Amino acid sequence: MTVSLPPAGTPNQSGASSKQRLPPAGTPNQSGASSKQRLPPAGTPNQSGASSKQRLPPAGTPNQSGASSKQRLLDPGFLQKLEALSLLSRKRVCGVQRGERRSTARGRGVEFDDYRAYQPGDDYRYIDWNVVSRLDRLFIKLFSEEEDLDVLLMVDTSASMAAGHPSKLLLAKHLAAAVGYIGLANLDRVGVSAFASTAGARLERLRGRARAGDLLGFLEKLEPSGETDLLAAMRRQLAASRRRGLLVLLTDLFDPRGYERALLLARARRFQTFLIHLLADEELAPRLAGDLRLVDAETGRAVEVTVDAEALRAYAAARDAFFHGIERFCFHHGIDYLRTTTSVSVESLVLRWLRQGGLVR
Amino acid sequence: MTLGAPAALWGLLAVPFLILLYLLRVRRRDHPVSSVLLWQRSAATLAAYRPSRRIERSLLLLLQILATAALVTGLARPAVISPYAPGDLLLVLDLSLSMRARDVSPTRFDRARREALEAASRLRAGQRAGVVIAGARPELLVPLTFDRARIAAALRGLEPQDASGDVSGAVALAAEHPLGPGGRILVWTDAARGPLPALPQEVYRILGTSDDNAGITMFRAAHGPDGAEALLRVDNFSGRPRRIPVDVTHERTEVYRGTLDLPGGGSRTVVFPVPASGVFQARLVAHDLLPDDDVASAVLDPAPLPAVLLVSQGNPYLERLLQVLPVARAVETRTADPRTWGAFGVVILDRTDPGPVPPGDYLMIDAVAPNIPAAAAGEVGGPRFATWDRTDPILHYVDLSGVRVARALALAPQGGRVLAGGDVPLLWAYEGGGIRALVLGFALQDSDLPQRVAFPILMANSLAWLGGGGLEVRAGEALQVPAGGAAAADLIHPDGRRQVVRAAEGMLLLPPLTRAGVYRLRGPGGDREITVLSADRRAGLIRPGTAPATARPAGPGGGLLSSQVPLWPWFLLGAVGVAVGEWVLATRRPGGEA
Repeated sequence: MTVSLPPAGTPNQSGASSKQRLPPAGTPNQSGASSKQRLPPAGTPNQSGASSKQRLPPAGTPNQSGASSKQRLLDPGFLQKLEALSLLSRKRVCGVQRGERRSTARGRGVEFDDYRAYQPGDDYRYIDWNVVSRLDRLFIKLFSEEEDLDVLLMVDTSASMAAGHPSKLLLAKHLAAAVGYIGLANLDRVGVSAFASTAGARLERLRGRARAGDLLGFLEKLEPSGETDLLAAMRRQLAASRRRGLLVLLTDLFDPRGYERALLLARARRFQTFLIHLLADEELAPRLAGDLRLVDAETGRAVEVTVDAEALRAYAAARDAFFHGIERFCFHHGIDYLRTTTSVSVESLVLRWLRQGGLVR
Repeated sequence: MTLGAPAALWGLLAVPFLILLYLLRVRRRDHPVSSVLLWQRSAATLAAYRPSRRIERSLLLLLQILATAALVTGLARPAVISPYAPGDLLLVLDLSLSMRARDVSPTRFDRARREALEAASRLRAGQRAGVVIAGARPELLVPLTFDRARIAAALRGLEPQDASGDVSGAVALAAEHPLGPGGRILVWTDAARGPLPALPQEVYRILGTSDDNAGITMFRAAHGPDGAEALLRVDNFSGRPRRIPVDVTHERTEVYRGTLDLPGGGSRTVVFPVPASGVFQARLVAHDLLPDDDVASAVLDPAPLPAVLLVSQGNPYLERLLQVLPVARAVETRTADPRTWGAFGVVILDRTDPGPVPPGDYLMIDAVAPNIPAAAAGEVGGPRFATWDRTDPILHYVDLSGVRVARALALAPQGGRVLAGGDVPLLWAYEGGGIRALVLGFALQDSDLPQRVAFPILMANSLAWLGGGGLEVRAGEALQVPAGGAAAADLIHPDGRRQVVRAAEGMLLLPPLTRAGVYRLRGPGGDREITVLSADRRAGLIRPGTAPATARPAGPGGGLLSSQVPLWPWFLLGAVGVAVGEWVLATRRPGGEA
C-alpha cells in the first residue's frame, strides 16, 4: 500500500492510496505545485502542548508504570482513541506467537482462506464434507492463522531533526509513541531504534500494553545530534531483526548519501516499509533574504547564497523535485509514504492521515 | 544639455570601483539551517557564486551605483540650454588689434559683432541691453536701454583699434551697472592678453583659433649725429620660427630691403640710414592672420621744432640759439602784434608786455600776459632753483643746480604747474583757454643760465612742448592741439579719410586716434603730422586664451544668447534620495545589510 500519492496523472495502483491525496493546506508553499505537496493540513492543534500535561489519564488505563512518560508524549484522551486502532499490514506476516493478525501460515486459524485438494496426511477435521458431497472429491479448508506483528520504529535523531517549532524530532517521538502504543495495545511486538550516523539507542521488542511506559520513556530520552546516515542505520537494524514485519521510518531524509539504498534494503528484506517524512515549515519555505552563509546543522558545511526571489524560486523547484523523487521512488517500490510538517498536530496525523494512509485502522 | 564641470565625470570611475568593492567585500552572515541539501541542489545557489549573477541581482548595488552616478553627474553641473536669456544684457566687445585676426571668418571682430547684433535682435520686450567697448580705455558706449535700434547702430559703428583692449577694465565697468534678475554680461574677446575676471553673471565667448602672426612693433625715424636713421623692430608672435622679408619705402622709393629670421616668439630690430625727410612706410612681405600690423609708418620731420616768432628788444642768447635749433622758421620782431602771431607755432615774448594774448603757444621770459592766471607781484632778489621736476618733458636732461639768478618776478600763479623754483616759482607752465604758456620768471641777462649746458636743452624742450612740429601718440589716445586762432582744421587719417575737427576754447579736440599710422592736421598754419604708434608691443599677440574656469561657458553662436537651467540640484537631490532609499532597504531587509 502506498500512502503517498503519485504525481498527478499517474495511475494509482492502490485503492486506498487514492484516498490519500492530501491537500497541502497549512503549508506556505509558494511554488504552486500543490499536487506535489502531499502534506496533511495544518490548523489542528498540536496535542503535545502543555494541556496534555495537565490532563490526567482516565481511570482504568492499563499501564500505570510509565504514566509520567505517557503524560509527556501522549494525551490520555488521545490514548483512549488509540486503543480503538490497530496497525495494518498489507503483507501477511508470520509471527512467533498467536496474535490478532492474519498470518501467512495457514491451518489453525479461524478465518477461512482457501480450499485445496486433500493430500494424505492432512487433518480429516478440515475436510469440507459439503464440497465432497457435491463434487465427490476430497477438499480440505485452509485457514489463516492470526499471529502477532513485528513493528519496528526507526526514529531519526540527527541534528537536523531539531529544526521546526515544535521540532521535527518531537513530532517524530509523538508519532512513534502513538504508533507504538497502537501496536502494543494489539499485542504486536514493537521495537524502537534511534539512529543518526552512529548506532543510537535501541529498545528491544516489547509486547503488550503493559510495556507502553518503557516505550514512552525510551522515546522521551531521545535527543538530536549527529549526522544522518540512513543506510548504515538500516543495515544495523535489519541485521538485528530476525523477523520481517512493519518498518515505520520517521526521518527528514536529509541524508547527503541519499535514501534510496536504505529503503531498497528494507524492501529486499521483505519489510513492509512506511516512510513518514517530517519537515519543518522553514524547510518548505525559507524566510531568508540577503547574502547569507548557510551552515548545515549536521555537517557544518557552509553554502554561500544570495537569497532573493529568484533564489527562493530555485529552492522551491529543487524542493519540489526532491519531493517528487521521493514520491516516485516510493511508488515504484511499494513503499508507503506520508509527508508532513511540524505544524500538523499528532492527533490529526494519527487519527486521520495515518488511517487514510493505511498504517492504522 | 551642457556640463559646467565635465572633469567631474571622472568620478564615474568610482562605479567600477564600487562594483569591485561589492565583489570583494565579505558580507555574508552565518545562518544555521537544518540541511543545505536542497540549497546545494538549487541552481540559483550555484548561480549566486557567479559575480555577474550577484551584480545582476543586487538591488542595493544598483541603488548604490545610481546614487553614485547621480552624485557625480550633479557635480559635473549639468544644465539644459534654453534658447532665451532672461534679464538685461550688457554686450562687451573687445576692440583689440588682435580682434582683426582672420582665423575666424571674416575677422574675429566681425564675427563678434554679428553675434552681438544677433543677441540684440533676440531681446524680448522688457529686456534692456547696453554696449561696453574694451578699447585702450574701456567705455560704456550705450547705457542700458530698450532701444534695440540704438544698440544695433552702435555695434555697427564699432571698429577695432590698433591697441590692446582693456577687457578686464571693460568687464569691471560693465559689472558696475546693476543688472536686473537674470541679467548677464556677454563678453566677446579673444582673451589674447592675460586672464579675464570671473564674475557670476558673465558669459565669455572666446574667438580665435591660431597664433600665426608677425608684426612691426616699432618703426621710427630720427636725425642722428651721422645723419638720419630709421629703427624697425619686428616681433614673431607665433610659436614657430619664421623668415620674413621686409621692405621700407619713402615716397615709393625703396630705402631698405632685408629678410629677418625670427625664432618662435622672438623679435629682431634693424637700424638703417634713411636719405631724406618725410614719411617712410615699412611693410612685412609675409602672410599671416593679422595683416594690419604688417605695415607701419614713420615721419622724419626736417624741422622738429615749430616756427618761432621772437618778440624782443634784442636778446643775443635767444637769437643765437634759434639759429642753431632745428626750428621750422625763426623770425625776430620788436613789436608785439598778435595779428601776425597765427603763422608761428610758438611766440617768444622776451621782456615784453604783450597785453592779453590770443590762443596760441607762448614762451614768456620775464613777462606775464594779463590773461593768464599768474600775476607778478613785484620782484625778488637772488632767488634760487631749490627744486625742479626732472620727470617733466620740459626739464628732461636739464640740470638747474647752481644756476644763479640776480632777480626774478614774484609770480603768484593760480593753477598750472610750477616746474622749478624755490621761494618763488621760476618756471611755470600753463594750459587753458586755448593758451599754452611757459613762463620763465627772470630775464636771461639776469642769470648765468645762458652760459650753462642746460640752456639749449631747456629751450629745445620748451619749444617742442609748446608746439613741436611732429606729434607722436599711442593708438587710442585722445589729443588736444592748440588751434592757434583757427576755428577748425582738417584731420586726414592714414587711409586718406578727411575729418573736420572744430576748435573749442582755442583747442582742437581730436577724436581718439585708433589706427596706427600718420595723421595730418591741416590748418591755417600749415600741416602738422601726428604719428600714431601701436599702443603696445603685445598688441600683436593673437593667441586666443581661455575663459575663466568659474565663468559660464558659451558655445559658438547661439550659446551666448541662450540661458542655462541648472539640473545639478535635481541630480544631487536624486542622489540623496536614492542613497536614503538604499539605506532604508538595506536596514529593512531581513537578511540584508548596506
